[in-house]
Amino acid sequence: MKRPPRPQARTSEASPTLSRRTFLKGAGGVAASGVLAREALANAEPSGPPRADAEVLEGPVEVEFALNGVATKVTVEPRTTLLNALRVHLETPHTGAKEVCDRGTCGACTVLLDDEPIYACMTLAVRAHGRSVRTVEGLASGDELTAVQREMVASDGMMCGFCTPGFVMSMTACLEKNPDATEQELREACRGNLCRCGTYPHVFEAGMRVARGGAR
Amino acid sequence: MSTTRRDEELSWGPREAHTVLHHDTPRRSGPDKVRGAALYSHDRRLPGLCYGVLVHARAGVGPVEVDLAPALALPGVLTGLQLREEVSFLGQAVAAVAAETPEQAADAARAVVVALDESGGWSLTPEAALAAGAAQVTRRGNVSGPDEDGDAEAVAKALERADFVVEAEYRVPVQHHMCLEPHGVVCDYRGGDTATVYASTQVAFGIPGSAAEALGLDASKVRCIVHHMGGGFGSKFSMDTPGRAACLLAKALGRPVHVFNDRAQEFLSAGNRSGSIQRVRAGATKDGKLSAYAVEIDRLGGVGRGAGNPAPYAYRAGATHVATRSIRTHTDSSRAMRAPGHPQGSYVTESVVDELCYGLGLDLLEFRKQNLPEGTWHRQLERVAREIGWYEHPHRTAPGRGDGWTAEGIGFGVSMWGGGGHDGAECAVRIAKDGSVTSSMGVQDLGTGVRTLVAMIAAEELGLRAQDVEPRIGDTDLPPGVGSGGSVTTGSISPAVKVAAHEARLAFAAHVAPVLGCPAERVTFAGGKVFDAQTPDRGLTWRDACATLPGEGLSGYGKWRADLQGSGVHGAQAARVRVDLMTGHVQVLKMVCCQDSGLVLNPLTWRSQVNGAMIQGLGQALLEERVLDQDLGIALNAQLQDYKIPGCLEIPELVALIDEGDTREVPIGVGEPPVIPGPGAIANAVHNACGVRVRSLPITPDKLLDGLAALRAGGATR
Repeated sequence: MKRPPRPQARTSEASPTLSRRTFLKGAGGVAASGVLAREALANAEPSGPPRADAEVLEGPVEVEFALNGVATKVTVEPRTTLLNALRVHLETPHTGAKEVCDRGTCGACTVLLDDEPIYACMTLAVRAHGRSVRTVEGLASGDELTAVQREMVASDGMMCGFCTPGFVMSMTACLEKNPDATEQELREACRGNLCRCGTYPHVFEAGMRVARGGAR
Repeated sequence: MSTTRRDEELSWGPREAHTVLHHDTPRRSGPDKVRGAALYSHDRRLPGLCYGVLVHARAGVGPVEVDLAPALALPGVLTGLQLREEVSFLGQAVAAVAAETPEQAADAARAVVVALDESGGWSLTPEAALAAGAAQVTRRGNVSGPDEDGDAEAVAKALERADFVVEAEYRVPVQHHMCLEPHGVVCDYRGGDTATVYASTQVAFGIPGSAAEALGLDASKVRCIVHHMGGGFGSKFSMDTPGRAACLLAKALGRPVHVFNDRAQEFLSAGNRSGSIQRVRAGATKDGKLSAYAVEIDRLGGVGRGAGNPAPYAYRAGATHVATRSIRTHTDSSRAMRAPGHPQGSYVTESVVDELCYGLGLDLLEFRKQNLPEGTWHRQLERVAREIGWYEHPHRTAPGRGDGWTAEGIGFGVSMWGGGGHDGAECAVRIAKDGSVTSSMGVQDLGTGVRTLVAMIAAEELGLRAQDVEPRIGDTDLPPGVGSGGSVTTGSISPAVKVAAHEARLAFAAHVAPVLGCPAERVTFAGGKVFDAQTPDRGLTWRDACATLPGEGLSGYGKWRADLQGSGVHGAQAARVRVDLMTGHVQVLKMVCCQDSGLVLNPLTWRSQVNGAMIQGLGQALLEERVLDQDLGIALNAQLQDYKIPGCLEIPELVALIDEGDTREVPIGVGEPPVIPGPGAIANAVHNACGVRVRSLPITPDKLLDGLAALRAGGATR
């Protein structure tokens, strides 16, 4: 299948040399990302002394990333998840990624961070700084759906549809890397996605139609 | 081809004649759902929207004092309110706070001080509720019933004469709905006397009344919108606590408020399928007759009564006696969950049937047919038996012995349900001068494909394609829909849509007849054309015909009609499993369902629903169970990482078969029945594979390994 245009080119125009580390410096200090994440998740109540080389981010921070290829800025607290940044804090909220468990268990919030599927509910927005974020809203060009999307519709790979954006993103990531994926490989790729309506067989059917169809 | 029959002759006609209905039709919401463009209530973002979070006590029950002050002092926090002064079940929300962002609201919720008076104790489990000195759940005690039905004396006599008797206790734990979209609403109220409520609900038209009450408005001034809905399964028949909190907070602030349960609150306070304990005594004779079936049923519905469990389900027994009581606990009331009570009844009955067969060395399939009414179930059982490979299977009268590394087994179950519709649904079909058509009814679509049906039925009637009709649903400003429960939606909405489209067609025929130069009765709508039945080669295209309409177009209005829908469905399922005898792991290899439901309007979405029901049955059989700690007064698995539902790696090959022997030409709902037989069929397949009867769900490896060890030691299976 055809790979969508990578957003990096436009990102680098927006922030030519920005890396997470330089960003964190600019935002008020150097923070080791692991410490940052832990402190943030503990709701700013450090359980021990911070590492000597780390400072904790505080207050509103501005995060820049390429959202579906478009340079995007959002101001959030350091503890804000990427999911909440997308769904709530963006000037134009992107609610395709869903909040279901908020604990990294269901995959409804799956987005692609530098083309890797991740749980947006378990990823801090600041971690997306300087990187590419692809959400389900960014796949189709206008009314033209991607092969995964088309086949999901044709195979009825959804019922209530609340899990659908997550499955679409996991399958997209899988098939971009491995256009000849087997059904077992597709299942493995989607094993972090849960559906309660039980739409799985038609999801796998859709994925296999794309895999077999190759680049169409 | 659509003719212009008189209204009283209106019927669905033979299924072979349909060009839209009874054909696989992709759901209309599909493109929006795969693009993330489908807006669920949880996704609503409005100017000035603030976020509310509910607060619940982490443990125990009892009178509660709430101090909101620490929360209200935090940045961004707008207001808060106490919802109740007594926690009557574990996890019941006691307060709500609203803030500018979800993060600030979560901080506020954590800062609320909840002081619970735990001195009265609690009864979380049935054992605790029955113990001497137990904390009382209701003023009338912890037990209601038993209600008795049947003839205990006849059962006793039949059991004496039986050639084999089973006496056993079966347990079905509480299962959760686990809708992906949590319960909640966005209440758009900005002062004044009107409001719009975006609710995740199964009954859009039930929301304005309760929202209006909380807002202090007239119900006529409140509109409910449910354009897309992330699953209900029986748990979303009211606004619930989050809805009430959203309205109260919005009223206090004069701003729109978003309040949805978090996942823990979903588990603790958004309903569940009641558990049950069933003590069975059943007997059969050598000639294959189920002669007696007696059962004492404890319904476990938390502070509620729990669902009734039909016994001996679909089977005819010589003598029956059923004694049912409800044991109350300090846990959330059970709610309707997809075929309430039936999976519990079916699982136990089907298990007992197999135990009797093995005791007497009888064929599992033949025994079933002998004790089920002739006709539909026999046909369906034979169909699924062929598909699952039963007739080539080695263990048809005795289970496998549990030796070797792995073992395969087959099990069966049957289902029964109503599925008919009821009065209340109305539909408007409007044909515009430019040829576009809208079919409007306010009913919600839970994911079953209702939106698609609202378009398909009108399209069939007007000789158009499904995509030529724009369906409008999920809005109380549209003609009324019905609540979606009991599989009634299809049977309720379909007649109304058909009648509305039919009325529109009659009006159109009368209008266009002079143009075609034929009587209105001969005007025919088919293949996107409008023509005189006697000259099908001539006539007008749909668009050209519509261009002759006056500027306002025309419309038809329809209401429900009993004769345009049906009721009463049956199904049979078979499951094939592989048991790993070293680890106790059960893998379901294949499930087959043969289900009747009259005229299947959209086979594609029908198969999705039947597949999904089988998968939920698999979850109940092997994975799902609520676990509580009576001593600590807490729930141990009220999070999705601890409560397992079926995922990609558990899904077997699934075969959903429309029972072609059902020739009824009326639509009937199918949402619930296929969820019923799975647990029984899978439990039976496990026993059939390895000789171990696990009498409590879910069938987890620990239980199975215990059973295998007992089997190898020569003891009885558990």
